[in-house]
Amino acid sequence: MNSEQSIAAKQITSDFRTVGGPHGSSRHTLEKKLNRWGWGFVSMSIVLISVFVFFPMIAALIMSFQTGKGVNMHFGGLTNYIRLFHDQTVAKALGNTFIYLIFQVPIMLILALIISVILNDKNLKGRTFFRVAIFLPCITSLVSYSLIMKNIFSNDGIFNQLLSHIGLSPILWTTDSFWAKVLIILSITWRWTGYNMIFYLSGLQGIEPSIYEAAEIDGANSFQKMIHMTVPLLKPIILFTTITSTIGTLQLFDEVQNITKGGPANGTVTISQYIYNLCFKYTPNFGYASAVAFIVVVLIVFLSLIQMKIGGKENQ
Amino acid sequence: MKTKSIAASFLSAAMLLGMTACSGGGANSASDTAPAAGNSQAVSSSAAKDAAEKLTVWAWDDTFNVKAANEAKAAYAKIDPNVKVDVVSMAQNDIVAKLNTAFESGNVDGMPNIVLIEDYRIKNYLKSYPGVLSDLSDVTTPDKFMDYKLKTMTQDGKIYGVPFDSGVSCVFYRTDLIEKAGFKQSDMQNLTWDKYIEIGKAVKAKTGKAMISVDPSDLGLIRMMMQSAGKWYVNSDGKADIANNAALKEAVTIYKKMQQEGITITASGWDAGVAAVNESKVATSVNGCWYASSIKKAADQSGKWAIAEFPKMSNVSGSVNSSNLGGASWYVIDKVAGRDTAKDFLSKTFASDTGLLDSLCKDISLVSTYKDASSGKNVNAPDAFFNNQKIYKNWIDWTVNIPAVNYGTSTYDVESKMTEAVQSILKGASIDDTLKNAQTEVEGIVSAAD
Repeated sequence: MNSEQSIAAKQITSDFRTVGGPHGSSRHTLEKKLNRWGWGFVSMSIVLISVFVFFPMIAALIMSFQTGKGVNMHFGGLTNYIRLFHDQTVAKALGNTFIYLIFQVPIMLILALIISVILNDKNLKGRTFFRVAIFLPCITSLVSYSLIMKNIFSNDGIFNQLLSHIGLSPILWTTDSFWAKVLIILSITWRWTGYNMIFYLSGLQGIEPSIYEAAEIDGANSFQKMIHMTVPLLKPIILFTTITSTIGTLQLFDEVQNITKGGPANGTVTISQYIYNLCFKYTPNFGYASAVAFIVVVLIVFLSLIQMKIGGKENQ
Repeated sequence: MKTKSIAASFLSAAMLLGMTACSGGGANSASDTAPAAGNSQAVSSSAAKDAAEKLTVWAWDDTFNVKAANEAKAAYAKIDPNVKVDVVSMAQNDIVAKLNTAFESGNVDGMPNIVLIEDYRIKNYLKSYPGVLSDLSDVTTPDKFMDYKLKTMTQDGKIYGVPFDSGVSCVFYRTDLIEKAGFKQSDMQNLTWDKYIEIGKAVKAKTGKAMISVDPSDLGLIRMMMQSAGKWYVNSDGKADIANNAALKEAVTIYKKMQQEGITITASGWDAGVAAVNESKVATSVNGCWYASSIKKAADQSGKWAIAEFPKMSNVSGSVNSSNLGGASWYVIDKVAGRDTAKDFLSKTFASDTGLLDSLCKDISLVSTYKDASSGKNVNAPDAFFNNQKIYKNWIDWTVNIPAVNYGTSTYDVESKMTEAVQSILKGASIDDTLKNAQTEVEGIVSAAD
């Protein structure tokens, strides 16, 4: 992309050169003028991103080295980072986040892929209806759907009443730390599968149908077509959805906050929620909260690098 | 190529930082605006006299605190009709989050004059943000209020609040279920936890009901047990007191035993706990006296309830039949215009008006920590829902015996750690080892607060 841009830019300047050819000085001022305009436009976004992204990032980094509470903050060296490594709640939150990541992201993406392939079939009746139905959870508010999930799966909620109707013992969705995690995974999957399905659907539109026909003539069954054709052809999109879902999972907050409040006994707490708790629920400790936040930064950089390495090479 | 992918990774990291950095950035401005806030204090106190005609009060719980504030507003309107009082109802979590942000940034725009703060949290505000709350030593007369309550809001010899409700603990129990299990009401007097569990087993066997509901994320029971022995997660100097805290260890042991004996059911969150009581799933609830309003929601259970003293721990010396859960007090935010009017409001209502406190006893079942309120008419009246027991009188008598403890600055941080520790103990981990590990972590939390 970069090289294309620079070629285009060279083209433009050379055009101007021919225009202004004989008069060297005017060529120079025009170039300067264009540069000035260019910087003018760019400066807006530079200022905005500096004020709203880079400045807070640096401020948070500085704060992560401060200890104390309230207005009595003072430089504390690595105290916060040392505490971080002894903090079992951080370990627990990281563990929970990784459990969500390892189970939820693959389940959701595979599901989205299968659904999108099914709904891409032109012979399927009412496929617009199904597409809308599956995408619909995405437009619901995070908080309201979480509250509905909480209601359905509460210890004496609809789901458990159904279970007892058919003679099974109720599941303690919100008070057992294993089932609470299952409930969170279930909820996120319901909410986000349709969202990822849309990406795959649009990717599938771009695949030439004739190659499938060729494969069919060669005797490939649907499973082989899926594994050997659809998946490789959708690779860039799969990579994109994996990265966004990974980041989304690392930022997971609303669902856990509303369904289980991080309980039972921090059994479902996520790293973002722990940061929130440190700032607003417990006695505020913004220094330590910033230190925890930087662990997440390191993690995301690391995970994104791995994913780019595995999936991204040929596409660059 | 490589630099590009690294750059991309950083960009995705930046996406995430969007969230974390916001909190960081907001907090950072604390140091920048602190001097400015100092200036505005001077401005606002000079403006105090002009803007004194309007007061804002923040409180939570429409059936209890907010109602009380509204009655105080009505009472004060007779004293000074020129002052317009605006009572705002808000969830406690929202009040806490708003106070945290406002105090941290030093900007009190939009903050109320008077705010209700839970006793567990007040020490932190007094220590972390000195000067933010007004010194109310001239409003609150120390010998008029219960001692344990005053201790929570006293810092360097100054009293910063007006004590409000007592959170005196008791056992709410269903007389019909206890009798079905073969026990009499006299068996519920001077309870110990051993006896409580024994009764619980009988209740389970004879009626099939659980004795009590527990919430894995809320250790209120353990906190009450500790305070009944004059102990807390921190000692009187505010230092972590977990590993060698005999009262805590015994409380956890009792908590575990109750679950092992199968006399508990689990309920997640406040509403589920209330539902368990209202739907007759449990025979007792061990709670602060303010829980009565939730029990009374089930009108069909009227006359079946009674209250008994908090059970003591027989294996811990110094444990008494009295403890406390929650409770809150009124505070004045110093820098908000109208401070003097706010102090006048509190001194003429919650800090002295026995008539108001007595009618609140009837209207919201308030158990006041104002000593003179104990002679009120309503305080000494029987309550039909509780089988004509004189519950308010009982509660006030028990409040006097509540051991005073230092709640420290970080009750809820520590509680969150302790829920993890207790869960692993319930799953079979050794109590001593787990508490020892918890000690290290709690030290980390508490030392960060100094």
